[in-house]
Parts: sequence; C-alpha cells; structure tokens
Amino acid sequence: MRIKTEKSTVAFNTIGYIVLTFLTVICLIPFWVVLTGSVTPELEIINEGFKLWPNELTFEAYRSMMTNPGVIVRAYEVSIVLTVTGTALSLFLTAMAGYVLSRKDFKYRNGFSFYIYFTLLFSGGLIPWYILIVKDLQMKDSYMALLLPFLVSAWNIILMKGFMKSIPEDINESAKIDGAGDFTIFIKLILPLSTPGLATIGLFVALQYWNEWFLANLFITTADKYPLQFLLYRTLASAEALKTNIALSLNADTKPPSETLKMAAAVVATGPIVFLYPFVQRFFVKGLLIGSVKG
Amino acid sequence: MKGKLKRYGSLLIALTMLIAVLAACGGNSGNKEGASSPSASPSASDSASSPSAGGDSDKPDTSKKVELVWYLLGDPHKDTDKVIAELNKNLEKDLNTTIKLNFTTWTEWQTKYNLMLTTGEKIDMIFASTWADYFKYAKKGSFLPLDDLLPKYAPVTWSKVPEQDWTEAKVVASGSDKAQIFAVPATYPEYTPDGFVYRDDWRQELGLPEIKDLDSIEAYLDGVKKAKPKVTPINGKAFNEMLALFRATHQYENVGSGDGNLMVAKYSNPRDIVAYPFTPEFEAWAKKMKEWADKGYWNSDTLNSQKEAGDAIKAGNGAVYWRNAPGAGGYIVGVGQTNPDIKLGYFPFNRLYGYATPNLSVNNAMAIPKSAANPERSLMVLDKIRNDPKYFDLFVYGIEGTHYSIADDGKTLVSPPKGMTVTQDWKRYDIASWGVRVESMVREKQGSGWEGFDALLEEFKGMSKPNIFAGITLDYEPVKANKAAVDQVFEQYGKPLMLGLVKDVDKSIATFRDKLTKAGYEKVLEYTKTEANKYFDEKGIQ
Repeated sequence: MRIKTEKSTVAFNTIGYIVLTFLTVICLIPFWVVLTGSVTPELEIINEGFKLWPNELTFEAYRSMMTNPGVIVRAYEVSIVLTVTGTALSLFLTAMAGYVLSRKDFKYRNGFSFYIYFTLLFSGGLIPWYILIVKDLQMKDSYMALLLPFLVSAWNIILMKGFMKSIPEDINESAKIDGAGDFTIFIKLILPLSTPGLATIGLFVALQYWNEWFLANLFITTADKYPLQFLLYRTLASAEALKTNIALSLNADTKPPSETLKMAAAVVATGPIVFLYPFVQRFFVKGLLIGSVKG
Repeated sequence: MKGKLKRYGSLLIALTMLIAVLAACGGNSGNKEGASSPSASPSASDSASSPSAGGDSDKPDTSKKVELVWYLLGDPHKDTDKVIAELNKNLEKDLNTTIKLNFTTWTEWQTKYNLMLTTGEKIDMIFASTWADYFKYAKKGSFLPLDDLLPKYAPVTWSKVPEQDWTEAKVVASGSDKAQIFAVPATYPEYTPDGFVYRDDWRQELGLPEIKDLDSIEAYLDGVKKAKPKVTPINGKAFNEMLALFRATHQYENVGSGDGNLMVAKYSNPRDIVAYPFTPEFEAWAKKMKEWADKGYWNSDTLNSQKEAGDAIKAGNGAVYWRNAPGAGGYIVGVGQTNPDIKLGYFPFNRLYGYATPNLSVNNAMAIPKSAANPERSLMVLDKIRNDPKYFDLFVYGIEGTHYSIADDGKTLVSPPKGMTVTQDWKRYDIASWGVRVESMVREKQGSGWEGFDALLEEFKGMSKPNIFAGITLDYEPVKANKAAVDQVFEQYGKPLMLGLVKDVDKSIATFRDKLTKAGYEKVLEYTKTEANKYFDEKGIQ
C-alpha cells in the first residue's frame, strides 16, 4: 500500500528545494567568478569588472603563471610530499601524546597536560622562534624548517586526548590479559578505534601543511624547495610590486596580468585540496562532535 | 620488572614529544604576531668586525677561503644561480671568496628583513635603503659602522664616492655620540619628482593648451571630460594624484611620511613646519576639488577603488596617471608596446615650483649587518663589483651573449642580445642590483629607456637643490597614540575633502579641523618640529 503524500508535504518539499537551490547557487557563484575571472582578458576586467560570462576567453594568466611549468610541478611535489609526510608523522605523534595523557595510570598526566596547555597561552613570539630555527637548529633553507614547526601542536594534542578518553579503559585491561604490550595496544586497538579523531585532526594538519607559505617565506632561499602556496603568493606579490614605485627599475615589459593572475592562482592552489573534503567529510562531522562533547 | 621498563619507556617517549611540542608551539602562535619587537637587539658579535689579523697593512689578507651570504630585495632571475656561479669563478681566483646570493622576494619582505636584521643572522651584506628603513636600523645598531673599514678594504669606492653621498649615509646610532657611515650608497643620482602622465594625442586633437601649470591641467581635464563623455580623466584611485598636485602647487614638502602625514614646510623656510589642513591654501584647494569632483574628473567611488588609473589609460577610458619621473618612463614605454596608438606626455610637478631635489644617496645602498662573519671580505667584493667592468656587467646584466650584448658604440646594452630570437616569455636579466649601481658603469638609461627621459634628467639637474627633508626620520614613538588618531581622522575626514567628495566644504573643513585638534595633532606637530630642528642643527641647515 502506498502512503499518500499530503499536499502540505509536497508544498514543503517544493519550497525546500527552491530555497536550497537558491542557497547553493549563492554559494557556488563566487567559485564560478573565480573560475571565469581567471580566463577573462585583463583589460575586460579593468573596464567592466568581474562577470559571470566573459566576452572573450583567454588563458594568458595561466600561461604567465606556467611560463616555467617545471617550477610549478616541482612546487606541487614539495607541497604534496610535505603534506603527506607531515600529516602522517603529526598524526602518529599527536595520537601517542594524546593516548598517554588520557591513560589514568599515567601518574604525571595532569602536570604534563598543563605543561602542554601552557604553551597555548604563552609563547616566546616571532623573534625567539626565528632565532631557534635559524641559529640554534641551523635549519635555514632546509625542508625540516617546513616540516618541524607544525608537527605537533598543543591544541591538537588536547583535542586528541579528548577523543582517547572516550575509549573505555577496559579495552586496555582485556588486551593486557591477552598478553599485549602498551605499544601493541596503541597500534592495534586504540588507533583503529579513534579514526574519527584521527580524520579530524588529520584534516586540520593536512590543510595547515598544504596552505603553508609563511615558513617558506622566512626560511627557504632555494627556489627548488618552494612549496606551491609560496610559489603562487610570490608570483602575485611580484606582480603587485611591479605596480608600485619601489620597482622603478624593473622592466615594464615583464608586467604580468595581475587581476586575472590572482584568480588563476586561486584555482591552481585550491584545486586538489578541495577534493579532500568530500572524502573525509563523514569522519569530519562525527569527529568534531565527539571532540566537542567529551573534550 | 619488564612492566616497569615499559613504563619508563613510554615516559621517555612522552618527554621527547614534549620537547618537540615546545619547539613547535612557539612557531604556531608566533606566526600571527607582528614582526615589530624592537626590544630584541642583535647580539653584537664584535669579534667578527675586527679586521683579519696578519698580512701587511695595505694588502688585505685573503689566504682563508670564505663564502659570503648576501641578501637582495626582490626576486631572482631564473638564471641567477648560473650567473653567480660564473661570478664566483672570478671571485675565487681574485679574492679567494665566493658569494651566495639570496633574495627576500616581495612576499612580506619587511617582516623578513626585520627578522634577519634583529636576530643576528649571519649575513655578510644586505641591500639597504631609505624606503627599507635604513635610518631606523642604523640607529638601532643593526648595521656595522664602516668608517674604519672602507679606506682599507674598499679603497676605490672610498675615493670615488662623492663626499656628499657619504655624508648622507651618516647616522648617529643610539649609544654613540658621533655620526658614522653604515652603508655604501649607490653612486647613481636619481630624481623622482611626482608628475602626471597624460594623453598628449587627445590634448592635440582637442586643441587644448600645452600643460605647464595648474590652469592648463584644469583645461586639459575639462576638455577631455567634455569632448569624451565616456572617459573619466582619473579613472581609478585619484587620491595620490590630488595630494601630490596639492603639495606641488603650494610648494609644500613633506616632513614625515605616509598618506596621513599633515606636516609640511617650504624649502625656502624649512623650519617653519605647519599642519596644512589649517592653512587658507587648503581651504581654497578643497573648494577647487569640490568643483573638480562635481565636474566628474574622477568617480565618486575613487576612495574605495582598487583600480590603477594607468590601466584605464590603456583601456581607453582614462586620461591621467600619477607617476614619478622614472616610473612614468617605464609606464610610457610599456604602453608603447601594448597600445602603440596611444601617445602619452609627462608633466613633472617640479615645473610648478622650479627646483628638483635628488634622492638621498642611501635611497639605494649596500650595508653590512652587525653579525656579519666577514665584513672586510664583503667590502672587497663590493669594491670589485662596483669598479671592475667585468664584475659589474656580470653581476648586474648577466652573461654576455646569453642575457645581453653590447651595441656597436661599445657602451649601450642590447637585451635580448643581438641575433637571438626569444620567446614571448623571455625575461631580461634584471635582479635588484640597485644597491651597487655606479653611474659611469651603468649601461642602460634611466626611465626604462624612454626617449624623453634624458631631457627631463638634464632639466632636473639644472634646477637641482640638495634634499634637506628626506633625512629626517620620525618613528612617532613619543606621540604614538596621537599619530594614530590623526591618521584615522585624516582617513575619515581628510581624504574626502582632498577629493571634493563632501556636500558642504566649509562645514566639512570645520569638522575636520575640530577632529584633528581633538586627536591631538598639535603634539604630533610639536614632535615633528623638534625632530626636524634636531636634524637641521646637525646638518647645519637654516
């Protein structure tokens, strides 16, 4: 037997769909404008502003960004390797820290937790940090300067500790009775059980590594080691600098199209990471909830 | 027993982690803070500054092989490594030295520059400039005083650079009682007066008068606006244009810096510093601007506009663009390539007041940070680059045949090199070598080779007067709050007045002045006067 749909339900659904479609379009328009902006001729943008449909198509901005495709490919490599290794290492270390701090049989956990928490509130600031990395650790122009600073963050550890707490202590005991050591318990039981937490923090960390340009700006001097974001930002900054009076002596004929260049850079930079969301989204929502309630 | 061991093991891991966490956390939050921490002064490694011991007094000892780290502002060229490798071959032979040339790039370069100079990083030579806060860093003691080193390690430069240029590079550092040289200035006289780029073809087509004063500027704007209704003469940000014109018309020289700086003085009487919003000239100007705005010489959204008026000229719907003289040259040459049908003219504002002041010599210079490991070797290399044509050409223009060739006259630069066909993306070798330029060695013309520039330069040299205002450095530290408030008031009330975007000029001026008084502009004026007088006394300017 078919359940008859009420008229009011139909009306509700129709309105719902219309409103949602409308909202979706509003959300999508900026992306669309970025996309079309990147293929509109520079002069058209100057004259008529950004438009939904450009009169003319040109790939000048992409061309001027890709004058040296090898450089972009290289930067992609750096960014991808950095994001993958960074995220994996960071997750491993953060999970271990979070796990240890969540274990009730760890005597000094409160002290350590406070110690970690303290760094969230107070830090030495930019200059001591710079001295630490450049002078003490001698990491100028080394990949380590890109990898290390984000490897473990106090905030992520505290978040992780919250996740781990929600795993019942009894699991430890039963595993111990079966003869498992601490590390085995961590790898075989705790890690699989905390996938939502790992996914959430993993996404945070991956985004951070992917979007990072400031570290490269400060510490990297060899163009081969630039990550993607910094390379793109540098291209934009040079285009802007060419407009100012500082660059009196720079040659006029090398001026790239700066408005469309911004859009093209946005497309190139966000492209891959945008696809990360749909895949981890289902963990993400659940993970955030768990974190917020029990953390 | 085993369990206990395990527990210690985990404790150990936790400890290792904590150390890593601590190292990382400073970084995470550090990013967000600004880079202005004047308290962190460099650890002065004075031991490094003593000249290398041994060797006889007139031939510096170069027995030790040294790698120098140099920093320039801006971006490298893609062949920079190749060029520097070539340079190093020669340097190694002549001075037993190699250099590693690094670039700050334009991304947040001020932050980076500040960090490099305040943390005592090992850098042997760095670009310095008035616009990169040379005076501030020199005062703070970030640079090494060069007075004693120069005659010995850079003798040619020491004897060739004019006395006046050295004087302009002198700074009294905090904690010292005498003025010392902290940078080797480029020997390259530059004039960068403001001016207007305009459509000379339209001016002729419409039979408008030659631009030579304020009235003819107005006639030009008016003629263009009337004849071509689709054109907005200043199509984009018009603020810089009008501020520069205002100052030039009334011969007001800036004392201080920034858009919001209200303190001005006349060249003839530099100690008479006034805040221009309180002058009758400003009242008259605001009224004129209201008239101009109403006539549509610029758009009403000009204050928020992100558009460059120069781009509008290329698009055919703009007619005026504010540039300094070399910038105008570059712009005009650029337009000549993209829009050959447009004929542009340039009117430098100093024709309105009849003199030109060259930039200070330290507008482009090379300095040695205090923490440099090998200052004397850096000076020797700089001396070579500045005075040996072989080195100079290589460092500034790249490799002959690959990046440039020399014309038949044996002097002029041809780039791309003769007989070489290049792709659209070919870029001439063009790194930020401003700090080492020497006029007699330079092979290209100022103003990007714009043909009108030479005549302009002659004109400027003919009416040149020493620059007495640029050396006054103000950090506004004692009047910080007032300065911020004044800037804010200017942003809110002053800019619209400057562009005639108000309903009732008299009332708006009254409000503007009232707000300025409340913001404490008098304290800023007082501070400016004190500092300026200190500087004038020091330099013997009346």
